[in-house]
Order: sequence, then C-alpha cells, then structure tokens
Amino acid sequence: MDFNPKMKHNAVRKTVRRFAESELGPIAHDIDRDARFPLEVIEKMRPLNFFGLQLPKKYGGAELDTTSYAITIEEISRVCAGVGLCVTVHNSVGAFPIERFGTPGQKERFLPHLASGEYIGAFCLTEANAGSDAGGVETTAVRDGDEYVINGTKIFVTNGGVCGTALIFAVTDPENLRNAASVFVVEKGTPGFSVGEIEDLCGMRSNPVSSLFFEDCRVPADNLLGRLGDGLKIGLIALDTGRIGIAAQALGIAQAAFEASVKYSKERQQFRKPLSSFQTIQNYLADMATEIDAARLLLYRACALKDAAKPFSAEAAMAKLYCSTIASRITNLAVQIHGGYGYSKEYDVERYFRDAKVTEIYEGTSEVQRMVISRAVLSKLT
Amino acid sequence: MINLVVCIKQVPMVSELPWDAHTGTLKRELAEGMMNPACGHALEAALQIKEKHGAHITAVTMGPPMAEEVLREAIALGADRGILLTDPRMAGADTFVTSYILARAIEKICPNFDLIFCGCQTSDSETAQVGPQLSEELDIPGAANVEKLDLTGRSLRIQRLSDNFLETLEFDLPGLITLTTQHYEPRHVSLSGMQQAFEFGEIVTLTAADLGLDPEFKSAKNSPTRILDVFSPVAQNKNIVMKGAPKKIVEQLFLKFDDKIGGAIGKDLKEKT
Amino acid sequence: MMDAERNIWVFGDYRNYFQNRVTLQLLSRAADLAPKINARVGAVILGSHINEYVNEYIAHGAQKVYLIDHPSLARYSIETYTTLIEGLARKYLPDIVLVGATSFGRELAPRLAKRLDTGLTADCIRLDINADGLLEQTAPSFGGNLLARIVTPVSRPQMATVRPGSFQEIPHDSSRQGMVICEPMPKKLPKERMRLINYERKPPRGQRIEEARVVVCGGRGMGSKNKFRKLYELAQLLGGEVGATRPVVYSGWADPEALVGQAGKQIKPQVLFSFGISGAIQHTAGFNNAGLVIAVNKNPNATMMKIADVAIVADANQFCSSLIKELKKRIRN
Repeated sequence: MDFNPKMKHNAVRKTVRRFAESELGPIAHDIDRDARFPLEVIEKMRPLNFFGLQLPKKYGGAELDTTSYAITIEEISRVCAGVGLCVTVHNSVGAFPIERFGTPGQKERFLPHLASGEYIGAFCLTEANAGSDAGGVETTAVRDGDEYVINGTKIFVTNGGVCGTALIFAVTDPENLRNAASVFVVEKGTPGFSVGEIEDLCGMRSNPVSSLFFEDCRVPADNLLGRLGDGLKIGLIALDTGRIGIAAQALGIAQAAFEASVKYSKERQQFRKPLSSFQTIQNYLADMATEIDAARLLLYRACALKDAAKPFSAEAAMAKLYCSTIASRITNLAVQIHGGYGYSKEYDVERYFRDAKVTEIYEGTSEVQRMVISRAVLSKLT
Repeated sequence: MINLVVCIKQVPMVSELPWDAHTGTLKRELAEGMMNPACGHALEAALQIKEKHGAHITAVTMGPPMAEEVLREAIALGADRGILLTDPRMAGADTFVTSYILARAIEKICPNFDLIFCGCQTSDSETAQVGPQLSEELDIPGAANVEKLDLTGRSLRIQRLSDNFLETLEFDLPGLITLTTQHYEPRHVSLSGMQQAFEFGEIVTLTAADLGLDPEFKSAKNSPTRILDVFSPVAQNKNIVMKGAPKKIVEQLFLKFDDKIGGAIGKDLKEKT
Repeated sequence: MMDAERNIWVFGDYRNYFQNRVTLQLLSRAADLAPKINARVGAVILGSHINEYVNEYIAHGAQKVYLIDHPSLARYSIETYTTLIEGLARKYLPDIVLVGATSFGRELAPRLAKRLDTGLTADCIRLDINADGLLEQTAPSFGGNLLARIVTPVSRPQMATVRPGSFQEIPHDSSRQGMVICEPMPKKLPKERMRLINYERKPPRGQRIEEARVVVCGGRGMGSKNKFRKLYELAQLLGGEVGATRPVVYSGWADPEALVGQAGKQIKPQVLFSFGISGAIQHTAGFNNAGLVIAVNKNPNATMMKIADVAIVADANQFCSSLIKELKKRIRN
C-alpha cells in the first residue's frame, strides 16, 4: 500500500492552490456575501481545463486521474466552496454521464463545449416531491415525432443559473416502475426552457443554485442519453462519481477551517498565553487533524478504486459520509475556537461553517449514504 | 530558432516550514517545495519570447531528486525540456559552486545557448549571487534585476531599476539576465499541461560524473563559504521608553534612529526636486 | 606586492551619496573590526572628479583610500568596475572586502568574488571577528525568519555585502588623516559588452502597503477622522504608507485597503510607526516581520507599547504634529 503522494498529485495540488489563493482568495468573502457567481474567474479557469478535468484529450479535456480530480476540487473548495461546487458538479454529474453514456454524435456535439467550459453543466434530479427518491420524479417527456416534449420543474439545481447544458430526469414510461425515467440533454436557449430565481441559501452562496422550468420544451429525440428508461442507472452511476467530488469539497472546507484554527490559536492570547498552549484547544486541534487525515485517506482510496476500474460505490459513499460529517464538526469547532470573532462575518470560519452543512445534504444526504453503505454490508451472502 | 535556458530553483514553501522549536533548526527536508517566485517570472519572460519569436526553452535545476517537480511545472507551462542536476556530491553548494556546476551543465547540454534567464534572487537564501556569478563563469554579458526586455535580432535591450536610477542597457547575445518580480507575472499552469508534462515531458538527469566534474569534487568541500549555524532571530525588543515634551522626544528619536527614519526623508526630497 | 599590514576594504559606493550612507556605515564597522585583526581600513573608489568623496571617506574613518580617477569612469559600469577592483585586489591582497548591499553592490560583489575565487555572503546584517580571527557574517534568509552565521575559512579575501542601516556611521571629522593611493587607469581594458542606452532618476513608484519601507499605522487614539488625516501627511514625508486598525476602518477614518492585521494586510516595513493603537492581536499579527517598531500612546501600559522597540508616552495626535513639523524643517535644510 503506497501512502506517499505521487509527485504529480503534489504538483496538481500546488497548481490549483496557487490559482485558488490568487484568483479566488481575494474575492471569496465578498462573493459569498453578495451571492455573486464570479464569471471573471470562471473565464480564467476555462483555458486551464478546470471544466474538462477527466474528459478525454480529444475533446479538449485534461484526462486527469480521479485522485488529481479530487485534489483539484479539494483545493478550490479550501478557498471558495461555492466555486468548488460549480466545478465538481459540472465535471462529475454534468459532463461525465455524456462521456459515459453518450453516442459518438452526442459526445461530438456536447463534450468540446463542456470541456472548454463554454457550457457549464447541470444535473437535474431533485423536484418538489423527489430527491434521492428518483421514483418520485414528476417531470415528463413525451415523444412527438422526432422530438420529446418535456414538462416539469426542477429545483435546487447547482449551476442552474448559468448552465449551458442540463441533464434532465423525466418520466418516459409511468407504468414501468423500475425504468420509468430517462435522461435528456437540454441546451440553454431551447424554447420552453427557462431559469428561475437564484436561491437565497445559507451557504454556497456564490453558486447560482436555481430552479429550472420546462414548459412544452421540445428537444430532438437524439438528445436522449443512453436508452429509454435508463434514468435510474445513469443517475446512480453519475452520483457515485459525484460523491467523490462532494467528499473532496467537504474535505477542502474542513482543511480551511483547520488551518484557520491553528493560525488563530497561535496568535490569539488569553490569560497572557496563546490559545494553543491550552490543553483543551490542543485536543481540539489534534482531533481535527486526525479526522481530516482519516477523511482524506478514505477519499483517496475511493479514487484509486475508481481509477483501477474496480467497484467503488460503497467506498465513495463512505468517503462522502465521513468527509461531510467531519467538515460540519470541524467548522463548528473552528467557530468555537475563534470565539466571538468566529461568529463575525469578518472572519472566514463562519462561511466555512455555513458552507459545510450542505455537504451532508446534497448528492445524497448522510442518511442515504448510510443506506448505500449498509446495503453493501448486508449484501454479503453469509 | 534561438535557444533559451531558464535556471530554476526549487525552494521550500515558507508557509510550511517545519521548525524544530527544541533544537532551533529548520527541518528543510520535510518542507514542500515550490518554484522560486522570481524564477517563475524568469520563465514567463522566456515563454513570451518563445511565443513572439519562436524559441527552444531548456529548464535547468540543481537539487534533490524531488526538484524534478519544478521542471515538470516548467514543461507544463511551455518549456521544451528539463535538465535535473542531482547528485549527493552536489549537495551543500554555495553560490560560487552552484554557478560553477550550472555553467558546466549548460556548456555540456546546451553549448549553443543564446540567452540565460535566472530569477533575481531566491526566497530561501536570498543571495542574488548565482546569476551574476554564472555570467562570469560563462564569460558572457549579464544584467541583474531586469524588469523589462525587448529582443531585436540578436540584440537584447533591457530596462531595470538600479539604486533609484532607471537604466536602459543593451547587449548582443549570448548573455544572461536575472528577472525581478515586477513584471512578467507568471501565467497559471493548465491542468492538461500538467498531465502532459508528467506523461510525456522530457527530463534529462545528470550527475557530477555526467558533467565530467573532478572525481574529488564535492560541493560541500569546494564551497568557499561555510555555514556555522542557522537560527531564529530572537526578538531584539529593546523597548526604549521615551517621555516628555513632544519636541524633545522627536529630537531624541532622530538622534537615535536617523539612519532608519532620515534615509527616507532624503530620498523623498531628492526625487521631488 | 602585499601591504605590510592587513587591510579591510570598503567599496566606495558614492552614487546617491545623500541617501546612500552604507559606505560610511561600513567604514565605521570596519574601523571597529580592524584592530582585532591588526588591519587598516581602506576605501576603494573609482570615478571621475571624485576628490570630495575621498575626503568624505577619510573624515568618516578610512585610513587609506585607493583611487582610480579617470573620465571614462564617470558612470558606474559593472564590467569595468569589476575588472578594475579585481586588479586592485590582486595587487594589494586585502583580507576582507565589504560592499554595501545596494543594487550595484549586489551585482558587483558576486562577480568580483568569482574572479578572485573566493566566497561571498549576501546582505549581511552583522559582522564580527570570531575567535579564529575569521570574519563572522550574519545573513538573513527566508525573509528574515532565519539568520545564518557564515565564514569563509580559507579563500581570501573574505567578502560580504552588507544591508544598509545595519551599522551606525562615525560622525564626520575633517581633522582625520588618511593616505590616498592613486592608481593609474590600466592602458588596456576589455571592451564593454554592455551598452548604456539611457539613465535617469526614477521617482518612487506607487507602492503597496505590503511592500512599503515605512508604514504609519493609526488607531482610535488619533482622536477623529480629521486628525487621522495627519498620518497621510506624515507618511508622505517619510516616503511610506498609512495603515489602520479595525475600529478605525469601521469608523470610516481609513479605507478598508489600509487594514493591517489578521483580517487585513500583512506588512513588513523596516520602520513602523504606531499612533494611538492599543495592540490587540487581531492587529499586531499583521506586522510580525516589521523592523523598528515605534509606538505612540498616552497609556504606557497598552500592549502595543510593550511590544514596541520604542514606546513614546504622548498624545498620538499631538506627537504626530510635532513629528511632521520636525520633518518639514529637516527637508527644508
């Protein structure tokens, strides 16, 4: 077992860290406060392949391994989780399903635009009455000649406000319980497709999370991804990959909160001693460090399995569950260590605290991750 | 097509300097390395020449095997190949010996070089000596602290700030320049560039023997300077307390610290007139 | 031909004479060190019509001045200067050569060391003679976070560049005597490869507070927004920038850009003035790497007054006015 990071992984980490610290660092606080999606930075990320992390080179992607992908998301999120969210969702559930399930023609049509970041990808499963319960999807797609007509509303769509393509889960065969839903690629500008208000959320405020509306939205039949009724299958596979990204994102937030806590506890004096000289604070920091390390090892193991083309679904769920759990705990503790200043918007830890919470919720809540993990545990014969 | 050589040093990240508080020493081997900032500007200046005129760029570094990382980074940014000078016998070099080894390597691997780029100084030892000493070793014209450059044919015109004088100088290639961090802000590394650099990048590793150095040669032994020890400066907080009439205190202040406070005044005065 | 006694040489770097006192500071330090190794202090000076500097250097402690005075040396030139000083050093074999760490000095010294096959320590802040009679050079690294003590045990001369401001100059004394050794300009010199195209004085560029040499920080103790404005005048006179604490920024006395501390800028000026600042860690963590820290506060027990190098017990606003007045007077003279 090799626990030494490869030179390439170190290099990727430093590269992304430098980019994030120099380009996102100065604005991370403001774009959170103003709930502003920083298009000017996204513009700079495009030629650097942040939007084609693992896509094949022939479409303009970087063809990175999954560990490099996770490190990239971790490092962006360490500085700005909202933009980290944009990048991971785009790459994992926005673009990857097209690469995995698309026809050669679909790949030619969509992947170059996605890899270059000209199109930002979104993934729309959640509805008012459906989330991890994909069976509750009420959006419909009805065949009409060479087209499908889509009707319905998707909510809490990450990147929704700026997406160039959206993967839409819609019911195509209401009678078929298992294979009711199919996935369609809908491009922006398609008549009948519109974007709702940007959500006013607790965290991840720089991401334009919004609702998407489909009113008699006609897409060519050729935009069906995979086969008719493949919705659930595509969704599950996409979400396995998506979990790695969200785990990496949570880890990045936790790392940022930890670093801020170490720095602050060395500088802040109470009772004429730095905070770091108190055993309680030392214990907090030791626990944080241990949890972050454990989380990182779990995550990189899931990445290594995926790159070795081995099953990684349960391992990705474990990584996502653990990374998001400790992110919440560590950001909470970071606020505690900072005391009153930690509760102030002047310091970054309160942003980490708000950003961390949702990692326990989206792309499968912690409860759903436990479902996935327990299924794997209980699926053994004896 | 002209041949450019960029000398790059991998330096420890200051933010991550592992410091042993008990022994008061730096655990340098534990620190993550990065490309020295000024070397990044030097590379950027070379890349811009490559884009404008076409050029072949060789990136050279001397250091432990892990210094390969900065060469991969240079290739990811657009350098054509990397030369890694690594050998236990090269360890412990001061600037005198570093410039000697670099010169031998450049003569061997890139004898028909046209222009050598160095960072004006490193963020670790901060000597600013390797560039000027390398130009002496190779007996070529050299200019330190270059801010802007303009290549026309084989004539290089440079601009720099030297002790508050703005100088424009010109020389014919081959030559050497060291770059400040004032202009040529390094571009960001693209992730596909990084992937390609690790997959296909050409790195040539050379030892002291490969360079034909004397079999007895050892950097630590051949360096004319010796480091006795390295320590963390103790806070020299004298905490002088001054009281009384402001006018009197101001006088005292100038009496004691004129070199620190007064220097600035003179400068301000001179340059306004 | 070796001198009967040993010599410590100081490179006479007279460009920007009125601002650049490093040569005088080095002459002073060399005079301190010389008796320990039985040496004399020599200044080396190249140029055209530079007699006034010869006299200055003697008045500031040089016992000998090695002089090459020639019209072609009217302007500093790295190649010719290196060659000429190399020639002088080979002739007189000085034991130690000290060069001010100016831009020119830091380009000249490494070339010279290379030609003379000897070691060089960069940007020293302390120089001593150790028990073995060696020049012990203390040089900062990692942005001043570390100091290294360095010697050149075997090769000669021992060479160092020295950071301006590291030593106090000896006061000017025109009664001092010194020997002037006039050296002829060599008949044949290598052709200059570097062509000087243009040469002009450059006004200081607009600087960022993070890079400013002098920073004047103010806190609520300045009294009011109007009074706080004086700090800008003071900073201008000192060629520096203005920094501020959190309460001051929140009160709108200063731009958020000026905020120094954990939530703001990290600064590392050579001189930091602190006016009416109590010294909360949120602020003081912003200047861990500052040089001389001068605090002004009515309350001698304020944290800021304890951590300062110089603590001035006075009303910040009043003291600021006195300082401005004094500076203006000095500039007029």
